[in-house]
Amino acid sequence: MQKMHKTILGYVPEASPLYEVHPFVRLYFLMVVSIFPMIIGAPEWNLALILVVLVLMKYGRVSLSTLKLYVPISISMGMLILLSYTLLGGIHPEFHVVFRILGFPIYYERIEAAVEVYTRILPMIFVMVLFLSTSRERDVLVAMRWARVPFTMTYMTAMALRAVGMVIEDFSIVRQAEKARGFDPHGKSLGYKLRQFVMYIIPLMALSLRRSEEFTKAIVARGYSFTGLKNVKRPDYVLSKYPFRTRDAVLILIITGFLLGILYLRYGLGMLTLEGSVTQRWLRQWLLGGAA
Amino acid sequence: MTAEEIWTIEEGEVRTPGIGHIVITALLIGIGAVVGAFGSFTLPLGFGVNFFWPAIAVQNVGGIWYGAWGIIAASLFPIISNGISGTPVYVSLAYIPANAFQSFMPAWGFRYFKADPRLKSARDWWVFLGTITVGNIFGAIWGPLVVLKGFGLLTAESVPLFVWGWFAGNEIAGIVFGVILLKALSGVVITTKTFVKRWWA
Amino acid sequence: MSAVIRFESYTWRYSRTKQPALDAIDLEIEEGAIVGIIGPNGSGKTTLAYSINGLIPRQEMGVRKGKVYVMGREVMAYTPAELCQRVGLVFSDPEAQFTAMTVEDEVVFGMENLGLPIEEIERRLAWVVPLTEIGPLMDKPPYEVSGGQKQRVALASVLAMRPPILVLDEPTTMLDPLGRRRVFQVLERLKREYQSTIIVIEHSLEHLIPLADHMVLLYYGKVLLADETEPFFERLAFLMEHDVFPPGVVEFFYHLKQAGEYPADAPLPLTVEDGTARLRELLGGKG
Repeated sequence: MQKMHKTILGYVPEASPLYEVHPFVRLYFLMVVSIFPMIIGAPEWNLALILVVLVLMKYGRVSLSTLKLYVPISISMGMLILLSYTLLGGIHPEFHVVFRILGFPIYYERIEAAVEVYTRILPMIFVMVLFLSTSRERDVLVAMRWARVPFTMTYMTAMALRAVGMVIEDFSIVRQAEKARGFDPHGKSLGYKLRQFVMYIIPLMALSLRRSEEFTKAIVARGYSFTGLKNVKRPDYVLSKYPFRTRDAVLILIITGFLLGILYLRYGLGMLTLEGSVTQRWLRQWLLGGAA
Repeated sequence: MTAEEIWTIEEGEVRTPGIGHIVITALLIGIGAVVGAFGSFTLPLGFGVNFFWPAIAVQNVGGIWYGAWGIIAASLFPIISNGISGTPVYVSLAYIPANAFQSFMPAWGFRYFKADPRLKSARDWWVFLGTITVGNIFGAIWGPLVVLKGFGLLTAESVPLFVWGWFAGNEIAGIVFGVILLKALSGVVITTKTFVKRWWA
Repeated sequence: MSAVIRFESYTWRYSRTKQPALDAIDLEIEEGAIVGIIGPNGSGKTTLAYSINGLIPRQEMGVRKGKVYVMGREVMAYTPAELCQRVGLVFSDPEAQFTAMTVEDEVVFGMENLGLPIEEIERRLAWVVPLTEIGPLMDKPPYEVSGGQKQRVALASVLAMRPPILVLDEPTTMLDPLGRRRVFQVLERLKREYQSTIIVIEHSLEHLIPLADHMVLLYYGKVLLADETEPFFERLAFLMEHDVFPPGVVEFFYHLKQAGEYPADAPLPLTVEDGTARLRELLGGKG
């Protein structure tokens, strides 16, 4: 079983062939491939994209049990969509009623739309999960620096990620301290838990504010200034350890090529839409008995 | 120190943006991300939508104490907290205007009306409640109507319910946690170098 | 040797306090010296450290009087970037210094700030990493290593900037005995091989005494005593009156001296090794 390592962003494999791919390419993959489901309406194609992502996760030695972490959001998101499109979808006499729940009509057109939306969003989640499962914090920063994001912003991002880790640690310490004093919210009422949260948020915030002074001194003491050294170009040592290779450029071209291809198929040839898709045909057959 | 004095830059006083502000922004992002990811008391609906979101307090007080830096943090930390939970990246990015405005309103209100962040008088309370309400109204419209409807996650008919749910959740959490943080920590924050009297320093 | 750091009637009062943290102090530190600064908590030791590298008054609010000279120039005449190339500061809490995701990034941060070329950064890494023995830690997040390792990473990140003056503010406070020893071993190497000017603020005197050429007693804002290490500890009664608790071996021989069992004109041994040798002599003499 692949050994996974916890980062602030999620769980990543200790070793992975995907680490050979430049971090910027992985970020580019996230940003561009996340657009695909927004263009593609046909659910089967979006489900195929999920399969591609799963294959990449397998190839990248990501433990597929990581996906368990994202089941809650997938389910809650599905429920949100279903609720919105069915019970909260309003009355539409022009639509086909397939059944009723407590008197509320559930329309075929709404179910079809909900399926389309859900199958658009699911691959976007999977692409995000792939990124989080194959990117260490340093990879995110390298990707940003390669994209020439100003150093102040990448440094702020690094500190923010660091701060997330620290706050989680502080939260755990404060919680243990409260438990040691008999304050245990387990099994208690919502009001009790609310009080618990109030008792945590003040020390967490106070600790962070105090830390800001210490961090500032430490950063200034090592020569960082907001405006940088005058007339001095800041070297990027970390970036020099991540050379952008020919294969990375090829991958960028391939990803871009797919995007252009999908745009052409969709808007040039009218393909990849829900209309006429296999899923639509199957849904009509199942819910309407084949009627249009 | 009176409320007027808190926001007034005295003659000879020099305040400039510095490393401390970068650091405070980063730390606000960190704390907001953690509070946003773990602080939900209700079943999350998905895409960072919660019916009770304590991180709104970090957005509000961050803006009040740190001006534009707090607004930057407020805009960015939900990307991390939503991202960690698997929210698609473009949905997270689309929330930015709502999050920024939710922080901007109290930041602007306290500066414009010279209200005391320690909430000493009834007037201070009214400024706080009024500005966070306006901020939450915008957020509640932007979030469900522009983002969720825009991505097709909601139908037009269901939008009002989610708008009310978003608004009520943020409003209650913002009042409860915002008041507590302002009362508990403003007294210390306003004496620090990083406290922002204008927008950047 | 010339004074590389000089305080001239220097006073600093924090805006939140009524009493000055440092009160009209005059102090000189010579180039290449290792100076230990001791005193009870609240004596102004950290304030002294921050005043040398310009964090006071730049990052603190207060009232400053007098002057602090570093390498012949007043501290306020330097830009922060210039000053950090001359004075490196290691803080007591290593955790509070780490903002990078890996040890390597942490060590490199200061050098990048200075605009050093990549080749020079690599050369300095090749020097500082074995010196501080942090080679196996380079890919790890700095906040995930042990306390002693953290402090060595903090030390490495400052040393990599090659400042001629190094100030360490209670560098071993949060460390276990082994961690403490490892940090002082690095300082001993620096002393032997590089003749840096090192100022160490410490409570752990067993490790500090063998290293320091000079000692300074700072007591609630005032320099009460400054001397070479041996004569400094001859004033043991004075030190103990001012809340300095010497290592056991020093105190033992002091009491022997008081009891007439140890020659009055003989210097107090400052280390266990010295003490053992003197005790052997004493016992051998009576044998």
